[in-house]
Amino acid sequence: MSAPNDRLELFVALSAALTGVKAFRLRGTGQAEAYLAAVEAIVPWPIIDDLFSQFAALPAGDALEPALESGILADPRLGAVARNLILLWYRGAWSQLPPAWRASFGSSAGDTNHVISSAAYQAGLQWEIAGAHPVGARQQGYGSWALLPAGEDTP
Amino acid sequence: MSPFVKNPNRPDLAALQSDSDYDAIVVGSGISGAIIANELAQAGKRVLIVEAAPETDRTYEGYTEYLNHFYGQSAKDNQSPFPINPNAATPRGSELRKLDPLETNSSSYIVQSGPYVSDTVYTRVFGGTSIHWEAKTPRMLPQDFKTQTVFGQGRDWPIGYEDIETDYETAEREMGVSADVEDQKYLDLKFRDSYVFPMRGLPPSWLDEQVAQGIDNSQVELYGERYALKVRPFPQARNGIPNPAYDGGKGFEPTSAVASHQIDIGGRCQGNTNCVPICPVQAKYHSGKTLAKAFETGRVDLLSQAVASKVIIDDASGRVTGIETKVYHHVSSPAYKTVTLRARLYVIAANAIETPRLLLASGLRSKSGLVGRNLMDHAYLLNWALMPQICGTTRGTSCTSGIVDLRGGSFRRSQAAFAVDIHNDGWGWATGSPSTDLVELVDDGNKFGRDLRNAIIDRVSRQLLLAFMIEVMPSESNRVTVDPTYKDPLDNMRPVVSFAVPEYSMRGAAYARQFAKTLFARLGAEDHTHYDPSNYGFIAYQGDPYEIRGGNHLAGTHIMGSDPSTSVVDADQRSWDHDNLYLVGAGSMPTIGTANVSLTMAAIAYRSARKIIATLNH
Repeated sequence: MSAPNDRLELFVALSAALTGVKAFRLRGTGQAEAYLAAVEAIVPWPIIDDLFSQFAALPAGDALEPALESGILADPRLGAVARNLILLWYRGAWSQLPPAWRASFGSSAGDTNHVISSAAYQAGLQWEIAGAHPVGARQQGYGSWALLPAGEDTP
Repeated sequence: MSPFVKNPNRPDLAALQSDSDYDAIVVGSGISGAIIANELAQAGKRVLIVEAAPETDRTYEGYTEYLNHFYGQSAKDNQSPFPINPNAATPRGSELRKLDPLETNSSSYIVQSGPYVSDTVYTRVFGGTSIHWEAKTPRMLPQDFKTQTVFGQGRDWPIGYEDIETDYETAEREMGVSADVEDQKYLDLKFRDSYVFPMRGLPPSWLDEQVAQGIDNSQVELYGERYALKVRPFPQARNGIPNPAYDGGKGFEPTSAVASHQIDIGGRCQGNTNCVPICPVQAKYHSGKTLAKAFETGRVDLLSQAVASKVIIDDASGRVTGIETKVYHHVSSPAYKTVTLRARLYVIAANAIETPRLLLASGLRSKSGLVGRNLMDHAYLLNWALMPQICGTTRGTSCTSGIVDLRGGSFRRSQAAFAVDIHNDGWGWATGSPSTDLVELVDDGNKFGRDLRNAIIDRVSRQLLLAFMIEVMPSESNRVTVDPTYKDPLDNMRPVVSFAVPEYSMRGAAYARQFAKTLFARLGAEDHTHYDPSNYGFIAYQGDPYEIRGGNHLAGTHIMGSDPSTSVVDADQRSWDHDNLYLVGAGSMPTIGTANVSLTMAAIAYRSARKIIATLNH
């Protein structure tokens, strides 16, 4: 198993590939440690280890996304966890793994729909990517809603 | 101005019970109760407010607790900031399910006896539903006060627009309404010559402008008459930029967040897109702002965690002699003490479901037999589409503009009128977006990486939700009752609601659906509307599917009139049967037209307060 810092770095690199949002920006949410801790508390460790080692072995550059799709997202054991990671970063909330996955690979008490924390909700990428703000927080200011929307986003 | 809030509590129940020197007891701390308590206190009267909920949000810290609770909730429904309190339960849409024919569902706080299941809610916290409300404040149209005479539909009010126009102005001052009067002069709506609203209108959203470009100056034809369409801003009780011309040039100072210490928020709307269920900065009016002034006089006391359980009547005179109240110690325990509270005069302002519930549980049906009957709420029909271009959806205050040209007209002889809201918060109300969009894109669409990012922008920021607020006329069979079979943990009978969406409203809904399709076609928008037969609000009408949602604009259960045999209260909201009892709130409204009810409710509360003060001075 890799050392803790490498593990966080690997987690963020995997998350960046899955979410399409650069590692720097993911770190900027302040949630990377909390999300990794949540995943480790919910998903059995051998599955996480396999997910990380599988990802570490993927090619870099333009070949990464197709390899990610065939090597991880299409894998019945790793794919559901990877998709949950995407939702975790975008929503700041964990979604319960699909029933079929739970039946085959194990279920843990923490595997329920829940918001990681108030801060995580507010850090959910879905809002910022859509040119918005988390509903009820990080308000954009009086009259901002009348301005030309951001439109195209950059990773 | 940031109002500093005093501690008004009277914790000593024995002393409270023997205190016979209150001029009035007000049950409920929502908008109506707050206005009446404050008006009485400013006139030197002594008032006790009885509130069923804990006083959590009386302080800024408590209000913030609600906000943090909201952030942490996985399902952010319209009651998500407010913790569960079985002793004074708040109805929640998440408790509902579709009913089989003739079935009654008592698993939710409001017992649903059908046939239609309404997801209408109200909020039982300090400040009532004003903590939750969206704060849209259109006035009713002059024609709305006489729909029976003009259109042969519904009931006439015993008073007209001209009788409450000044009270509308007072309510607009108290609630801090932002609007420009030139935008609000349409149909038969009129304003005093020099009138301006306290604050300038909130700027329309970019989305509003996109919709306006597609439909302004277009027309629709209805029963042979043409109606020109225009996107117009709604008046809102949310702080904006004060209008220097207000009050003859004196200007206006907005009321910001209520706190016990200096705090610099709430002076202006910040665009949290979260008016419902809670404004994070309190730029939205809530009754705590009025109550802070009332408590400041030192003449208004508060008894919280106190559920009024019985209105006690002297059989000989018909006068109220006291309110039996159950005071609980903690939300997690049903243990309570019963006290009887007395005053010279009693005001029930508990909302259009809880007020008749209390009266009926006290055995008071009124001679008219109409307590609980004529329950109304706006019927909402949602229509949603994707605009051809990025519109910046999910930015801003919840709603800034809409289409109001079909709020009035001769077609009301045949079908219900409606107002249309353009939602700045996207499809959330209809589909749970953007959360559900993400799940769909990731789990079903197998999107990830850069594709996913672009798909989110494309999907979310083009969303257009048009919410049609359709008028519902009074019908005696739509009603609130009580039944000893259904009780809450304090042994109080729960409300039982029987409701059917009237044919008149469904005709309006059917037209609304066609109208939405026409608008979407003019905008080049892709219609994504679908109504699910398994949804509790599903209605098949003339072979077509609809989902009707509740509007949380509850009204009509102690209807106002000029004849004691056909109404429960008079034009001052005084009970015909008990002359020291006032039933105030939207429950007194004989019709609701296409106006969100709170502003009119506030206006008639000022009218009642004048009458109450005159009576007490007599």
